[in-house]
Amino acid sequence: MGGMSIELSELRDAAQKAFPADHLAPPRDTAWGAMAKMGWLMLPLSEDAGGLGLGRAALATIHAEMGRMLSRAPLVPALGVLRALESGEALADRSQWLERLATGEYIAASLDFTDASPGTLRAVPDADMASHVLVTGPGLVALAPTADATLVETRLWDDTRRLFDVTPGASLTVVARGAGAEAITARLREDLMLGIAADALGGAGAVLAMTVDYLRTRRQFERPLAMFQALKHRCADLKTQIEAAEALLLARAVEGARAQDIGAMKALACETFRFTAEEAIQLHGGIGLTQEHACHRFMKRAELNCWLAGSADALNEAAGRAELAG
Amino acid sequence: MSDDTDLARLRSELRAWLAENAPRGWRAVSNHAAFAEAQRGWFLKLLEGGYAIPHWPAPWPGGGRTLAEQRVIYEELARADTPRLLLSFVSTYHAAATLMECASDAQRARYLPAILKGEFWCQGFSEPGAGSDLAALKCKAVRETRSGGDVYVVSGQKIWSTMAQYADRCLLLVRTASDGPKQAGITFLLMDMKARGVTVRPIEQIQGDEEFCEIFLDEVEVPVADRVGEEGAGWAVAQATLASERGLTLMELSYRMRGALWRVSDLIQAQGKAEDVAVLRAFGALIGRVDSACALADRYLDRRMAGEERVGDASLVKLTYSRVLREYARLGVSIGGLAEQLRAPITFGDLNTGNWMADYMNSYAWTIAGGSDEVQRNIIAERMLEMPREPKGWVA
Repeated sequence: MGGMSIELSELRDAAQKAFPADHLAPPRDTAWGAMAKMGWLMLPLSEDAGGLGLGRAALATIHAEMGRMLSRAPLVPALGVLRALESGEALADRSQWLERLATGEYIAASLDFTDASPGTLRAVPDADMASHVLVTGPGLVALAPTADATLVETRLWDDTRRLFDVTPGASLTVVARGAGAEAITARLREDLMLGIAADALGGAGAVLAMTVDYLRTRRQFERPLAMFQALKHRCADLKTQIEAAEALLLARAVEGARAQDIGAMKALACETFRFTAEEAIQLHGGIGLTQEHACHRFMKRAELNCWLAGSADALNEAAGRAELAG
Repeated sequence: MSDDTDLARLRSELRAWLAENAPRGWRAVSNHAAFAEAQRGWFLKLLEGGYAIPHWPAPWPGGGRTLAEQRVIYEELARADTPRLLLSFVSTYHAAATLMECASDAQRARYLPAILKGEFWCQGFSEPGAGSDLAALKCKAVRETRSGGDVYVVSGQKIWSTMAQYADRCLLLVRTASDGPKQAGITFLLMDMKARGVTVRPIEQIQGDEEFCEIFLDEVEVPVADRVGEEGAGWAVAQATLASERGLTLMELSYRMRGALWRVSDLIQAQGKAEDVAVLRAFGALIGRVDSACALADRYLDRRMAGEERVGDASLVKLTYSRVLREYARLGVSIGGLAEQLRAPITFGDLNTGNWMADYMNSYAWTIAGGSDEVQRNIIAERMLEMPREPKGWVA
């Protein structure tokens, strides 16, 4: 992603160095340790609280890099929760909580925005490594320890992610109440949408690059496949859609962006990844259908991303309504 | 002037100026001649205000603006719903860039001030046999000494010249040699549209407008003094001409499209579809696409300002805008239903008019003209993605 500040491009370069593109989906726990060591778990924390004070643009940059290499580590919910706790007025010992998170403790949050099953949090990433899950409800944000919660892992097509259904027990630690809780919940949702959108566009860029490389190498009819205009134009369309969605991601990765605008961006980003991955398999031909090739992993992650942090249908409908009302 | 305070001051000055001077009711103009006069009037008014040619260098009036200032100006002109300067587009961008970058001092001294008096220019590039393959052009120029002095005698046909029926001058590409590489035999001329032997025939377009023209040239005498660059060096000059339309134009158009989203809202309300979930979803998806076109155009300008423009960036911006413009119009046609199939009067000089079938048909101008979507895709694939060119030398 171009046109970025030096700070952001340094962050991107560090991410690419720590997690090179030719080593996809490294083991979760080692990656998590490395992220903690590099200070990523305190990236958005204010400098007063001992963090790096980097905003949403930095989060978008890092999450895009994690999407590029199919990261297994739950950085998107982790950093959203960190920001939620930092604003938690009612949280006792807040600075200790923040320090624990910054050094590697993980608190999970649900990526299911449908609120379809009261009492159970669905689509909670990596609850097995979480000390708590963040629970949000009307006028309340709280932490529920996983020790007395029921965790049920769901089987996914996407083998780079682990999601759990979590039914919390009775004990809760209050983070915020009332208007403060509503604001935290709203911002957390925005952060999660931005995170998944960035992940999607990182993945889209990676799977397109992989496809173009393949087309340049693979020869049929005595020439590289990349020479055929029919294939070139499809790649050019994918490149164009990715660049446009990336530009919108960076435009929305700011404090103060409206939720409906972030939502419409998230829908566009995830649809862009979904279509890019779909085309990638087709453009690879038979090899794209094999388990050993990485195409399917991008495709499955892309499909899952469409349903995490709000579906395109729900988000687009909300954006349409807001524009009508505005 | 570069910091935020100065930009804010420029913005508020321009807003105040627009409140006084922005033309009203320009969409009601129903004939072309009146449209052309209204365009000239608005150009001269903007020039007087100091906002017509922000992209020209100082000391031209209102020139010497930074890209950041130009962006503010185009944003405000779009926001105030002023008419686009369709008829001055070629004169202030293409002609001006060509003159400033490639012409002689004498040519600059003669033609640049005339542009600021309201002279309209057109482009004579494409031909019936030279569209995407522009270098295949055949319009022939032979150097002779005639009564008019040292001249090129030009014969041939040009096509797709925007508003040529109102143009005073033409940026003309001609063939002066046909041996050797086809680019090497091209020469760039400045032609007087009133010269003997020039015939303009407007083309009736599918939406009922006549924005494009054919130009027939029958032994037209163009003084050698009106040649830009050397004989046979016209291809390089033409690249400077074409580069000038990249950038701000598409930012302005993208923001104009964003500013016209209320037309979709109005249509949804008028059709009683404010609770139609499928319509709301489609509208939301369009908003994302329109916003992405704006964001991409913005980022392109940021890159240019930072000196980080990549080959192909301009193609990304144009391809995105043209596709989203089509989607915008298509959604209107689809929401409006049968009513949109009833032929309604068109508005000149605007791409987002709310006459959805007309807007839909007009959107092809952006997917075909100025380098078609297919040409842009080739550029993106070959120059950005480094996919190899097809081999030349096809034989039937």
